Amino acid sequence: MTSTSAHREAPARPGAQESPVSVGRPAAARDREIPDLVHPVFETISLSVSYGDYMAVRDVDLKIGERQITALIGPSGCGKSTVLRALNRMNDLIPGAHVHGRVSYHGQDLYASHIDPIEVRRRIGMVFQKPNPFPKSIYDNVAYGPRVHGRTAGLDETVERALTRAALWDEVKDKLRQNALSLSGGQQQRLCIARTIAVYPEVILMDEPCSALDPIATLRIEDLMHDLAREFTIVIVTHNMQQAARVSDRTAFFTAEVDEQGVRHGRLVEYDRTTTIFGKPTDKRTEDYITGRFG
Amino acid sequence: MTASPIRAVPARGALGRSRPRYGEHAVRVVLVLAALVSVGTTVGIVASLIPTTVAFFGQVSWQEFLFTAEWTPLFADPHYGVLPLVSATLITTVIALAVAIPLGLGAAVYLSEYAAPRTRRVVKPVLEVLAGIPTVVYGFFALSFLTPLLQDYWPGGGGPQIFNALSAGLVMGVMIVPTVASLSEDAMSAVPGALREGSYALGSSTRQTATRVVVPAAFSGIVAAIVLAVSRAVGETMIVAIASGQRPSLTWNPLEGMQTMTGFIASAGTGDLPVGSLSYQTIFAVGALLFAITLVMNLLSARLVRRFREVYE
Repeated sequence: MTSTSAHREAPARPGAQESPVSVGRPAAARDREIPDLVHPVFETISLSVSYGDYMAVRDVDLKIGERQITALIGPSGCGKSTVLRALNRMNDLIPGAHVHGRVSYHGQDLYASHIDPIEVRRRIGMVFQKPNPFPKSIYDNVAYGPRVHGRTAGLDETVERALTRAALWDEVKDKLRQNALSLSGGQQQRLCIARTIAVYPEVILMDEPCSALDPIATLRIEDLMHDLAREFTIVIVTHNMQQAARVSDRTAFFTAEVDEQGVRHGRLVEYDRTTTIFGKPTDKRTEDYITGRFG
Repeated sequence: MTASPIRAVPARGALGRSRPRYGEHAVRVVLVLAALVSVGTTVGIVASLIPTTVAFFGQVSWQEFLFTAEWTPLFADPHYGVLPLVSATLITTVIALAVAIPLGLGAAVYLSEYAAPRTRRVVKPVLEVLAGIPTVVYGFFALSFLTPLLQDYWPGGGGPQIFNALSAGLVMGVMIVPTVASLSEDAMSAVPGALREGSYALGSSTRQTATRVVVPAAFSGIVAAIVLAVSRAVGETMIVAIASGQRPSLTWNPLEGMQTMTGFIASAGTGDLPVGSLSYQTIFAVGALLFAITLVMNLLSARLVRRFREVYE
């Protein structure tokens, strides 16, 4: 698994190599064919999520392609993180949160009564905005998932492979017993990615994974995402449009709408290939947001 | 001084204090005094223990005090071996902890990880009410309810004596459950939600999240809670004085009656001992030993807490 570092050095990323993508220009996100969404990993049908009486996001229809990077963008309060958390039932943990509509994962209704949310999260991992390593050693952080699932045979190799895959192995191989909190923010976030990979999920959800990181650490994570997309389906929430343009294959643009009663709801405005969203968006609101004419 | 077009710094004097802040000063003095009261009390207790204790050891050798097992200080033929009192304190404390740690930690994990916020808001204060019951009530509860109950249902006959360490220890355990539960729950609730989310996102169950992430992260707080519980058990007086009897005896059998250090102090210090007599000094010697034990334990716990501290963030 040395492909990671090789990939990092290769100048194969047109988006990120240049200075930040100029807004409104078609961004050649990734050099690859983006297939049509024939057999999507996720399909949401009029997905709405409410917290108590408040409807945070309404009627979202979205298909997520296998081994693609899908970016959810939009202004604060547009419900993009809420939608993301609905995909692996993380909203279950918030008292009062309720999901309406349907979220299917390979055709299975994720919210059907017989579905075990623990099994769902094992297949659909998540990386959070603020790096949240456990206050344990680097090794124990990565080994956490396999241990919880009773997969302790060959644990050392699993840990090494996950750390290598997350482009962190070379930096930590001599200090695996050190506390994870001694790492820098960027390293901590890659550790959290390694921790997720060690469970071998199919999907990795990322909730603004770079917003607490400096630009260099951000680029390393973006590199990593390109690399991981060969194996994993990635859905990323970001409020950084350049990031969406650089990393994603498809982009969903959300906005916050005020209804007749003056209540704000998140809405999906437009969803398409990233090049289309950033090049020729069909909705005026998308265009305004992309070109910076909107809050 | 030539006037510059832009004056970056205001004229001198503008930053000076316009009027003295007496209020600020007074608040500070009051707060310092408040802090000094507790420190002063501790120092005062130690200072009052020392001279009498020293006088005691002028007449009784410390070897006899610490290493012999006959405690009859108020008899015509007095012996001053404190071991029976120490062992009684140890036994009742161990029994109390055997009850309080599992129940207290269980309650804390339930409240912090499983209970709905509403349940927690109701249950936690109710639990804390347990801590407000006077210990004399617990003592009579042990003597007049628990002991007969144990005697009636003891398998194979026999069973505890009227005064016994078992009932006292069990009831003392119930008494300190709220201490363990409440402080541990505080420590667990203080563990950032982000760590829990991280664990759940890896496909862990609530149980795994609680035992593998939350409890280790809150460990120093939990140790502190248990140490406080131990201190309360060691220092608890009324329950043991009432329920475990007044007879010092060196035994490890919790079904028998025994007298703890605090039990001795409570029963001997009744006011009719002549000040300055050896019997009077005995009380102080036992008190000093009790103080020393508690102090050592607190120091030990401070080290433990530092050693196991898992700093998050």
